[in-house]
Amino acid sequence: MALPMTLNTTAETETAKIARGLRERDIELLADLVERCQHRLVRYLLYLIGRREYAEDLAQETWVRVLQRGSQYNGQQRFDPWLFAIARNLAIDYLRKKRKAVQTDSLPNDPDAMLLLPSSDPSPFEAAARSEDAIRLAGQLQILSPLYREALLLRFQEDLSLPEIAQVLGAPVTTVTSRIYRGLAALRSAFEEGGDSHGV
Amino acid sequence: MECDKRFRELIDRSFVEEVSVGERQLIHDHIRDCDGCKRYLELTARTIRGLREFTFTSEPDSNAQVREILAHHTETMRQHNVQFKVWAAFAVALSMSIVGSAVVYQVAKLLTVPMHFDTAQVQAGVLVFWLLPSFCSALRLLAAPGENRGIA
Repeated sequence: MALPMTLNTTAETETAKIARGLRERDIELLADLVERCQHRLVRYLLYLIGRREYAEDLAQETWVRVLQRGSQYNGQQRFDPWLFAIARNLAIDYLRKKRKAVQTDSLPNDPDAMLLLPSSDPSPFEAAARSEDAIRLAGQLQILSPLYREALLLRFQEDLSLPEIAQVLGAPVTTVTSRIYRGLAALRSAFEEGGDSHGV
Repeated sequence: MECDKRFRELIDRSFVEEVSVGERQLIHDHIRDCDGCKRYLELTARTIRGLREFTFTSEPDSNAQVREILAHHTETMRQHNVQFKVWAAFAVALSMSIVGSAVVYQVAKLLTVPMHFDTAQVQAGVLVFWLLPSFCSALRLLAAPGENRGIA
């Protein structure tokens, strides 16, 4: 019984420490956060927008935003979802500007719909797939609705909890859960339809 | 089959959310007798394992670049903050100088008759002994040395 309480207290202290450091614009704390989160941040952005160089740029912009708006982080929840939410908003802004630049047609008002627009760029999943199963999933992920894909990746790659994913996406937990189940069902079909020649 | 649907939802939930020990045991007991659900569980586990097997390699100097950018922005923001504070202090000092001068002028005007001064003398006195010194003090805030200077 004592162990969970200790862990919980440690987690609270950690987030409170981050909140204080961000308010004070503590550069050492920021460097530490960059060390811990940059890899995951770039990966998340890459899977959102599909282009490595833009993902790196947006990650840098995200950190600048963290520096500028650090006082808005209240330290009551984990830092990662807050960081991902900032990155996601920047990615949506970026995609919106990109679409505006190439077409003058009316753009969708729903921010999520920006992520739904098809991309002609090569798949970042294929480049990142290191196992046969991952290669098989890469094809499915590329054609999967980006809303399902994003929810799945936040859950199983970034290990965020359902309420944390809801915070990042700005959607209710029930919506997030439904996206994950639907996405999972679609990906499972990669093994069902494609035959199961490999053991589990 | 109805049992499949119910158990498959439970299997999904066991991967996505928290399930109780009892529910986990229920799944365990069920898949011993149900090949369909067993296969479903295996495929779900395999899908999730596959999702975790995307290995992304980051640029080696990526973190250093971000740290450099942040250090630069922190310094710029600190300088802007100092400048803002100096200009704010100047604005307050200037306001106090003007309001104070107006008050002193009114008081001095009241003293013109008993002290036999004329208005021009009072105006000159307020200007030389109150308004100009206080205005110069306010200006000094902007001309403070080094990084505290308001004028960049």
